[in-house]
Amino acid sequence: MGERAITVEGLVKTFGSTRALDGLDLRAERGEVHGFLGPNGAGKSTTLRALLGLIRVDAGVASIFGMDPWRDAVPLHRRIAYVPGDVALWPNLSGGETVDLLLRMRGADPRISRRAELVERFRLDPTKRGRAYSKGNRQKVALVAAFAAPVELLALDEPTTGLDPLMEQVFNECVAEKVAEGATILLSSHILSEVERLADRVTIIRDGRAVETGSLEELRHLRRTRVRAQLPGPVPDLATVPGVHNLAVEGDTLTCTVEPDAMLTVLQALTAAGVRSLSSTPPTLEELFLDVYRTSPDGVRR
Amino acid sequence: MTVAVALHPGGSGTALLVRLAARRDRVLVPVWLAVLVLVCFASAASTTSLYTTEAERVDAAKAINASPGIVALYGPILDVHSTGELAMTKLTVTYAVLVAVMLLFVVRRHTRGDEENGQAELVGATAVSAGAPLDAAVVFGGAVSLLLGVLVALANVAGGLPLAGSVAFGASWAGTGLVATGLTALACQVSASARSCAALAAAGIGALFVLRAVGDTTDAPWLSWLSPFGWNTRLRAYGDTRWWVLLLHLGLTALLVAGAQALRRHRDLGSGVVQPRPGPATGSPRLADAITLSLRLHAPMTVVWTLAVALCGLVFGAIAPSFDAFDSPAIRDMLERVGGAGAFRDTLLSAVVSVLAVVVTCFGVAVVGHAGNDEHDGRTEEVLATATSRSRTFLAAGIVAVGGATWLLLVTGVGLAVGVGNDTDHSFAGLVASPLSQAPAVWVVVAGALALFAWRSQWALLGWGLVVVSVTLDTVAELLGLPDWVLELSPYHHAPMMPLASFDPDPALVLTLLAAVLATAGWLVYRGRDIG
Repeated sequence: MGERAITVEGLVKTFGSTRALDGLDLRAERGEVHGFLGPNGAGKSTTLRALLGLIRVDAGVASIFGMDPWRDAVPLHRRIAYVPGDVALWPNLSGGETVDLLLRMRGADPRISRRAELVERFRLDPTKRGRAYSKGNRQKVALVAAFAAPVELLALDEPTTGLDPLMEQVFNECVAEKVAEGATILLSSHILSEVERLADRVTIIRDGRAVETGSLEELRHLRRTRVRAQLPGPVPDLATVPGVHNLAVEGDTLTCTVEPDAMLTVLQALTAAGVRSLSSTPPTLEELFLDVYRTSPDGVRR
Repeated sequence: MTVAVALHPGGSGTALLVRLAARRDRVLVPVWLAVLVLVCFASAASTTSLYTTEAERVDAAKAINASPGIVALYGPILDVHSTGELAMTKLTVTYAVLVAVMLLFVVRRHTRGDEENGQAELVGATAVSAGAPLDAAVVFGGAVSLLLGVLVALANVAGGLPLAGSVAFGASWAGTGLVATGLTALACQVSASARSCAALAAAGIGALFVLRAVGDTTDAPWLSWLSPFGWNTRLRAYGDTRWWVLLLHLGLTALLVAGAQALRRHRDLGSGVVQPRPGPATGSPRLADAITLSLRLHAPMTVVWTLAVALCGLVFGAIAPSFDAFDSPAIRDMLERVGGAGAFRDTLLSAVVSVLAVVVTCFGVAVVGHAGNDEHDGRTEEVLATATSRSRTFLAAGIVAVGGATWLLLVTGVGLAVGVGNDTDHSFAGLVASPLSQAPAVWVVVAGALALFAWRSQWALLGWGLVVVSVTLDTVAELLGLPDWVLELSPYHHAPMMPLASFDPDPALVLTLLAAVLATAGWLVYRGRDIG
């Protein structure tokens, strides 16, 4: 083991005048599910394609298991399975043929893999021709070929966008099984709930640059907590406390969002006022996400 | 519906889709039209200057009619006194096939092509009627056909042919285009696969051509009346014109389009009338890397092409002995004037071989085009994300393109040799070798297409441009008397004219080397560029 699964430092990729990646940093440890979050066009797919050696980067370093994705593409790809965001199949090959082909090209033997079981679990009809599959079923073909392969890293680009909730459940189970086997999973997504459920650590990307990275707890710690308190007597004036936002008082109920550093002051003030009931909600990933995106690149809140 | 009416006063959105089609084809169609018009002009101009007396024209026309081989290929000349008919010998029927093929591509692109890649669904979800895409494709195909007719008529007049005949000739090509539009529209309803639909339409065009060839050369001339290509001859554009023949074109087109519309109403968007058979649930162990994948994907196409070129070789080989039947001083004189010399039959065989070499090149260029499509759609990305090297995917396309084209040349040669049969003048091996002697030229064009693809996946389609330019140079430059160096730009010009000429290793070596350099340069570029 030893080497980290994915190390990316200062990755830059330009397409003409567009800077798709602008000094991206990304680290994923072995055995973790790493959520790679960002809206459409933030550079998620470009990053994955660079990590697979499909495109050449203009600057920066990328390594997978300590190897160079561009130079060592072939030996690396025996250890990686990739599911693109928009799966394209060969119109004339059946789904079963495509799964087996992809497995064999990854160096695995479909007959001794978990292929049959996965086809069953994903309820995939393997006899249909590629052109006849819906988007969700095309994704299932690629997912079966990825999960059935004995690989150490799975790079999944928005893998559940075409799946129904039942299949999403199967997907979650498969991810858990892979992690139990010791595999690393890089899960690119713009679906926050999915990442929140599956990921150990998260990198949030915006305009080709990582703006936040860390475990969900760490990220939450950096962000504001929503506080709601019912008070019997006069409501203390929190408006002057630095780090308190969105303050609202309605009758005897006070709501606000509080930065971590201001929490102690707020709690002391509320206790002094004789708080009757208190609830504090950690920020959801949704709020983290929106928070990051409300911030302009130079760090000034809009 | 009120929304649709408000958006498009026409009611269904057809007009809007016709404009969309015109916009999407703004390069392909004009280039194709220009090539066809140029060929017409060159033929008209060269014939009017080549034969100065009527006696010469009559001799040439009678000679053509005397050879079943020529008649099978080009159709007969019904009025031997007509300059126009003589000038349009090759064009009336044989080049009309190219018109039909152009419309096949255009109409398929805007019907089944859009359905296969999902654009039809996008369009179908907007305020256009369900029949609008098909109607628009037919209207656009019709408009292209009519435009071609007008341009070709003008080109022939400019080439020195009479006005009324040129209008009739233009109308016959427009009629061919209309029939091809209807035929393709119908074929595109049958299968969910755009490639199968194209094969079906192409088979229809081929069958109509053969029907006419048989009718023109046997005791059953009525067979030619069953084929639109036969109608083109029987219209007698430059003789005593039978204008009513054009009604046959129009009537058949109407029938085909009505049939297509009826079939469309009885199927779902994206599906065909024929339901696809289910495929195997597991993959063969042999289908395990990029090369076997490429071979597997191109297997059906290769089989169809193999049968087609084998048949062509057999037919032309079999009718070759009849070429000698009209070997006369006058004809020798004519052939020498258009650049050929030597044994008469060999001249014609060489001409057949060089045409087939160009046709076979199209196979290679099509394979390279598929590699471009695979990359555009994202399949190449999936393959390269497995333990497959760039070199291997490039080789997979190259092997099938170059190897397949070479195989087809071999099959053509065997077909020719079997067709000719016992012949004291030609050895079996010599006949097999004659199409293969064109291989270096074919390789250069296919390798050029590969290099374009290697540079940028979208440029794979420019390979077709290489074919068109080479052919145009070959046919037009000589007729128009352009300087030699223009003609020499075409690789086909440098391949030996076997069996007429003996094999010359020098140009073959140079062409092979050029092909190798192009392919290697492509490989080097492909290894270092971004995919997708």
